[in-house]
Amino acid sequence: MEFLSLISPLFLCLVVGGTLVGIIFGAIPGMTATMAVAVCLPMTYSLGLENGLALLLGLYVGGISGGLVPAILLGIPGTPSSITTTFDGYPMAKAGEGEKALRIGIIASFCGGVVSLIALFFFAPALANFAIEFSYVEKFLIILFALTVMAALSSDMLMGIFSGFLGIFVALIGVYDISDGGNGELRLIPPGTEYWLEGGFSLLPVLIGLFGLAAILEEAETGVKQGQTMDDVKIGGGGGFSLGIFKGQFVNIFRSSGIGTFTGILPGVGGSAASILAYSNAKTFSKHPERFGKGEPSGLIASESGNNGLTGGALVPLLSLGIPGDSTTALLIGAFTLQGIQVGPLFIGNNPETWNAMIFAMLLANVAMLVMMYVAIRYFAMVVTIPKHILFPVILMMCVIGAYTINYGIMFDVWTLLIFGLFGWVAVKLGLEIAPFIIGFILGPSAEVYFVKSLESFGDLTIFFTKSWIALVLWVLIIGSLAASVYIARNKRATDQLA
Amino acid sequence: MTFTRRTILAAVSATALLAQPIAAAAQELPRNVRLVIGSTSTGGDTYQNSSIVADALAEHLDINIKVDAVGATEAFKALERDSRGTTLMIFHDQSYLGNLYGVSGYDDPFENYTVGPTVAINPGNAYLVPKSSEYQSMDDILTAAENGERVRVAIQPGGVSEIGFSAMKNAAAVRSPGSEENIVAVNTGSQSDKNQAMWDDLADVINGSIQANEQFTQLPEDDQKAMRFVWITARPATLEQAPEQGMGETDRAALMQYAAPETSVPLNEEGENFTFDKEFFFLFNPEMDPAIIEQIDTALAEIFENGEIQERQKASFFIPNFLPSGEAQQHLMDKRDTYEQVISEISGES
Amino acid sequence: MDALTQVTIDFETSHLVFPRLISVILALMGAAILLTKRQRIAGAGGYWRETLSRMDKARFFGTLALTLLYFSLMVPVGDIWPNTGRGFLICSVPYVLATGLLFMHDRTIRNVVPLAIVALLAPALVWWLFTDLFFLTLP
Repeated sequence: MEFLSLISPLFLCLVVGGTLVGIIFGAIPGMTATMAVAVCLPMTYSLGLENGLALLLGLYVGGISGGLVPAILLGIPGTPSSITTTFDGYPMAKAGEGEKALRIGIIASFCGGVVSLIALFFFAPALANFAIEFSYVEKFLIILFALTVMAALSSDMLMGIFSGFLGIFVALIGVYDISDGGNGELRLIPPGTEYWLEGGFSLLPVLIGLFGLAAILEEAETGVKQGQTMDDVKIGGGGGFSLGIFKGQFVNIFRSSGIGTFTGILPGVGGSAASILAYSNAKTFSKHPERFGKGEPSGLIASESGNNGLTGGALVPLLSLGIPGDSTTALLIGAFTLQGIQVGPLFIGNNPETWNAMIFAMLLANVAMLVMMYVAIRYFAMVVTIPKHILFPVILMMCVIGAYTINYGIMFDVWTLLIFGLFGWVAVKLGLEIAPFIIGFILGPSAEVYFVKSLESFGDLTIFFTKSWIALVLWVLIIGSLAASVYIARNKRATDQLA
Repeated sequence: MTFTRRTILAAVSATALLAQPIAAAAQELPRNVRLVIGSTSTGGDTYQNSSIVADALAEHLDINIKVDAVGATEAFKALERDSRGTTLMIFHDQSYLGNLYGVSGYDDPFENYTVGPTVAINPGNAYLVPKSSEYQSMDDILTAAENGERVRVAIQPGGVSEIGFSAMKNAAAVRSPGSEENIVAVNTGSQSDKNQAMWDDLADVINGSIQANEQFTQLPEDDQKAMRFVWITARPATLEQAPEQGMGETDRAALMQYAAPETSVPLNEEGENFTFDKEFFFLFNPEMDPAIIEQIDTALAEIFENGEIQERQKASFFIPNFLPSGEAQQHLMDKRDTYEQVISEISGES
Repeated sequence: MDALTQVTIDFETSHLVFPRLISVILALMGAAILLTKRQRIAGAGGYWRETLSRMDKARFFGTLALTLLYFSLMVPVGDIWPNTGRGFLICSVPYVLATGLLFMHDRTIRNVVPLAIVALLAPALVWWLFTDLFFLTLP
């Protein structure tokens, strides 16, 4: 318990303060956990290692959690990892169950965070050893599995999957990135646009364009009618929430948190994939898959426990291999090197006090997140009662800031926001579906690298089936998920015809 | 001693202050400067290095400098747009290596930009093998290639990570022409991909770094993840300046065993060894007022004279390496020419 | 049989493998969509005419025009005071005010005053946070 000597009042304040700032960053569309950590990283130099980490871990946990607020209330994901939260959270809010959805989301987030923390504390080295069993082949299959959610999310199977592939296609525009293992050549760029499109479209501007700007354009099109009032949101009195909702959800919570944790552990698979995989699994295994996407609490629970599961998971490879599990933990490496501390397979053994302090900071951050967000629900929910003529312009301005600062000042990212805002508005009218599109866009680049590298390394298509038992398990999941989607679609058609 | 030096410095700056109305005719760095870097990571070595330099420079000149991790392509674009001195850039040898390897987005930096002062070296570039590997040294690897054995080297193509690989091929060609064919690249991306390539048995040798891979060399041999250094590309003179305790469990003396001259990767038949130091330096817009470059040179000279910056650099395992613009340009151009030779040598023959 | 599944990928051209694969899939699915939904596609002209006629044109195109103007002016204005973020500050205030007024239905003093306050304070606060506290670059 020597690490307790490292816990000072300053340490506690930094965790709690970090979590609060993180929540605010996460809750503002266009601001992300990564950005929160990035802007506070330089401050940690003077704080010392443990105190610096306390602040950063608080920001990380808060940032991932805060994303659920706009996802539920406005249908705009606050961070890329809360996309799937919009699928069921926003329909609930529209049906006047905003407060209930917030409560569910916050508790699910807390559960995800704690489960992943337990995994981190007890099994980090073992999990890291398991993670390195995943070569290009298994990583491709994981991504493929995550992509099957495109089918599950489509309301019209053909159009939905087409939209998903279109998303992948758009993600491939630009350079085949050398730092991902590509050869640095350009492709799919219309002549004359190389100057802008060389680096392709960045995820965050695309995301806030499709969800933020497009939604506001749609509102503008229909004349910006005033929305909900205090009475519609049913604030106070719990909003129809009771812990009973979580009855029968234990499997879902553990599965989703586990998936989130494990996705975090796999370097390169990406943070946003966590909640997508968790959501897709929840739908596949649900007794009522047809309710997903219409305001089903299980979907919300899966998404939120999945993305918070990521937090502990992404620290596993960082602390036991020196390799970051997602973009936020990549910045944490900077915090260690700033203090001259090496992270690698010996880190935990060599620095037990720091390790314990980190676990404690994470736990505290999760508790602080739960308490602060729970208390703040009232105020969050009031967002929807702000007149739209004030809310929308401010959201637009925040989207611009987010797009401009995400890559440290690139104006093309702001134009991307406008391009995809317009695209999102038109696409819906063409019958294209935004949810599968964005999932294709997020997963496209990893799908490409792992697919091409698998074949480059092994030179045989059969490798996808013969590589390992893990590959076979993943195939079972992929086929199961697809079969479930087809089954649901058929049932739906049958009931539609009856009606 | 320090006191007198400080008094002199104070006197100098006081005179400089008095002389300002006259000097004001010449261009100076604006109050708000944007320092773009060639990396998109704010946790990486380029960012750390640049922020150390930016902090020192900002304090010394009493201006604001923001470091923006926009990445190579965007950084060059931003630099190109602005000749007022409001945008500066810091990058490393990748800026000309990218051009030598023909990567898109990389122009010749010596022609299209003004190369400025160097500030630091990251001495960490290294090559590693699995701990259980039969290759004990670079000599074993080159001999294996000579004997017709295929040696697969995991690198990130097109720059800093590839130059050591090109040097290996060149060394093989020097020792036994034709054997360079047996040293083949496994093109991967990040450090984690390179490590993974080793663990998946897709590569026999991987490019890595002292900082990121040292702990793996401390693992027991029966651990699948265990690695061993075979080559550190830094110049011996650079490594000598590293902290004596080295990195982690490997002290400086042990590190030097893996670098020239103890570990030899021949550059040519005259017995010279190939070395590579990742040097960080400024890049300027070619139309920027030379007076600004002079101002930066002078400021950096004073900062390095002061001695504090070296401590910060060393704490992050960087080697202080200040060369004013003129010297830096000459030094880097010579370096470029050597590597150009190596690259054309191996691509001409294969 | 083995030969059928074997694939050799040349690293030099590996950037084209996946885009081609996805293009083929898109083309096939596109054709399927054309076939199954030809009636709806044939009626698209009417659908768009109706959308246009029903749309709140002033608000929709107004938003677009204001946003275009906002994005286009930010950088040139900011360039007058390089690296201070004033381009963002100076352009955001009128943008928030103008879009707010555009979206507002009942343009009474009671409604305009709060908007004007937000339009002044929100960009200023954000500008201060980002440039001074977080030390990030704004246009």
